[in-house]
Amino acid sequence: MKLSSFMPRMFATAALLVSILSCSENLDSSGTCPVLCPQIGGDVQNITIDAVVIDTTVPALSGLGTEPGLLLAFRGDTLDTRVVVRFDSLPATFVPVGDTARPITSVDSAYVRFTLDTLSIKGTDPVTIEAYDVDTTANDTSTAAVLALFRPDRFISSQTFARTQLTDTLKYFISNATVLAKIQGNARLRIGLRATGPGSSQMRIISTEGGFAPVMFFRATPDTTTKPLTVTLLSKTPVGESILAINLEDYTVIAKGPPPAPPSVLAVGGLPAHRVYILFNIPSSIIDSSTVVRATLLLNQLPNNAIDPTDTVFVLPQVVLAGKAVTDPAKAAQIIGSISVDTLKLKPGSSGTTNVELARAFTLWHTQQPDSLPRAIVLKSVVEGNSPLELRFSSTEDVVALRPRLRISYTKTVPLGLP
Amino acid sequence: MRNLYFVAAALVTISFASRSEAQGALSLQGLGYPAGGFSARAEGAGGGIADFDALSSVSPASLAGVGSAALYLQYSPEFRRVTTSSGSANTTTARFPLIEGVLPMGQSWTLGLSSSTFLDRSSVTNLERRQNVGAPTDTATLTERNKVLGAIDDLRLALAWSTSPAFRIGVGAHVFAGSNRITFSQLFPDSAEFISTAQTGRISYAGFAGSLGVEWHPSRVIGFALSGRKGGDLRAQSGDTAIGRGRLPDHYSGSVTFDGIPGVTVSARTAHDSWSSLSSLSSSGIQAFDGWDTGAGVEASGPRILQRIITVRAGARFRTLPFGLNGQKVSEKSFAAGFGAPLTRDRASFDVAIQRASRTAGSDIKERGFILSVGLRVSP
Repeated sequence: MKLSSFMPRMFATAALLVSILSCSENLDSSGTCPVLCPQIGGDVQNITIDAVVIDTTVPALSGLGTEPGLLLAFRGDTLDTRVVVRFDSLPATFVPVGDTARPITSVDSAYVRFTLDTLSIKGTDPVTIEAYDVDTTANDTSTAAVLALFRPDRFISSQTFARTQLTDTLKYFISNATVLAKIQGNARLRIGLRATGPGSSQMRIISTEGGFAPVMFFRATPDTTTKPLTVTLLSKTPVGESILAINLEDYTVIAKGPPPAPPSVLAVGGLPAHRVYILFNIPSSIIDSSTVVRATLLLNQLPNNAIDPTDTVFVLPQVVLAGKAVTDPAKAAQIIGSISVDTLKLKPGSSGTTNVELARAFTLWHTQQPDSLPRAIVLKSVVEGNSPLELRFSSTEDVVALRPRLRISYTKTVPLGLP
Repeated sequence: MRNLYFVAAALVTISFASRSEAQGALSLQGLGYPAGGFSARAEGAGGGIADFDALSSVSPASLAGVGSAALYLQYSPEFRRVTTSSGSANTTTARFPLIEGVLPMGQSWTLGLSSSTFLDRSSVTNLERRQNVGAPTDTATLTERNKVLGAIDDLRLALAWSTSPAFRIGVGAHVFAGSNRITFSQLFPDSAEFISTAQTGRISYAGFAGSLGVEWHPSRVIGFALSGRKGGDLRAQSGDTAIGRGRLPDHYSGSVTFDGIPGVTVSARTAHDSWSSLSSLSSSGIQAFDGWDTGAGVEASGPRILQRIITVRAGARFRTLPFGLNGQKVSEKSFAAGFGAPLTRDRASFDVAIQRASRTAGSDIKERGFILSVGLRVSP
């Protein structure tokens, strides 16, 4: 190769290569800070204000049977909860293998399959689960009427489980005769479950709302080549109220719950479950004219030693989405949206100041007027309705130093403009 | 009452907010770095030949010497290192500082349309500091990120007249337009507790100016050029709101070229820019200084490679940059070298220049930059 042709090509190639490589722009001069790039924004300002206008405890759930789990608990004098499952439609016929449909005249191996939240199980002693016939014509939402049916003449069957037998899937066998009698009598099968045993026990059964509804299986013939029949939950009552009927396919009945919180105290969780609704009056100058970088609700936690005081309750702050048309805090507390993926971990028996981070709520409030998005939040337990644990906080009715307050950290808006 | 006190304190704080003035380099103070105007050929010769160079958008008279219609595009990345007492930073800024089209019209007239970077403000800085956020014992690292992108460009429509190589004259009409897109972010490490924020803004600039240039070659070995640009108002707007007004700096330059040595052109140029007229476009009192821009260089026919005569160039340039730091002028000294090669039987040419620039403001802050300029002229 001649030098005369090599050199210009080499230069041209080198120039092209350098040009292409330099296309990757890097403007970051951070290494020269702070000498050549002094602070632009001002220091973060922190203020604590009494901004709470309304703080109240409201029911957590929108009705009986809306809980995502069914709490079956026997904690002595402290807690006793039962579970009701409704099979209002039982099959009257079955189809043997290679045959046509024929009436059911026998029932064998009848059981209800429950899905357990094994992390929720408490107690190490064996637990006996008793089943009762709780079918009644009384008001559907009357828990007293149902509780009255947990009596010997309504007893169906019982089954005892060692702790090791309580796995994800629980097969609870029930009386074949009872099932057959219901089928032949064209009656509803409504089963009430009660836990008993030598020691305390507590478990959470996943409900229809939780995604794993209990299902009943039985054989209508001893011939094992014929598949067992499957019966899903169904509630035919109350008539004309289909949503409530769906909710009542499975639900928890509280026979004895922990003592309720005093009216002047804010309560989160517990049985029946509660939420805390808090409405703020925040100066618009802070929301509109500055940039909130952190907002913390300062709550004074009160110890609640009623049950499992050292267990952890996961609390989720949520923003209220209900507009000004919804004036009832109990209803507004049902129309909420998530503002945080992080939960607050608290122990019921603890006390002292608790910080609830609300910065993301301020981000939403900055973009919406109070009429459409009230400056309100709800504190709810992640497992509300499934746990007896209850957190308690001082309300605005407490002494000044213990009332809920809002601490806001903000920065000034920097005018972006000429250098 | 206590709430009112806090609200009042917040409002007072907000009203005394500072401006975004962090730009991270000596050359990027104020409205930015004057990057454009010179072709790669002129840059390689220290700028001395700029007033005679048809592809530099300096003197409109020079358009008359273009010969044939031409399109010209230049790419000039700058590799900069800034050293301060607190540390150093290496940056790469990609610029297309000059694009130009020149069209001869008949024997005497030449029309030129060009766009050159007038002031480039592109920069990014991150400043970390500890802040008390929340309770008195809660501290967090706050990172202030200031990103400014954009430039003011000089769009020139020029017309040159010449009936002989001895005398050329040209006039130009300039529109100065452009924008700075500013993003100011305050970033916190923990998104569960803190909200990182970002503000964005856009400043648009618009202004007009007129220019005049004259070239006189009393003999074949020497030539003189004078050019000037009279600046009009330059307005800055944010949205529909006028946020500042200044005057585009007047610019005057004089050049001489000597061709007495066969194959060699020696040129020198000095120019004056009244940058101080832009001082009113600073909201934080950054001072702009009038300054001289002086350069000299040599262009010589080099080796013949592939039947092409390679032109080699070298030069030096000294100038005052428009905007100072802490009241001190920022001066720039640069040495340049380059070459040019005709392509496709002179229907195109390829020019490369490399400049080593050092900038100082009389302090211990040092700035060094290598600017590689690659220009391609095509005659359709």
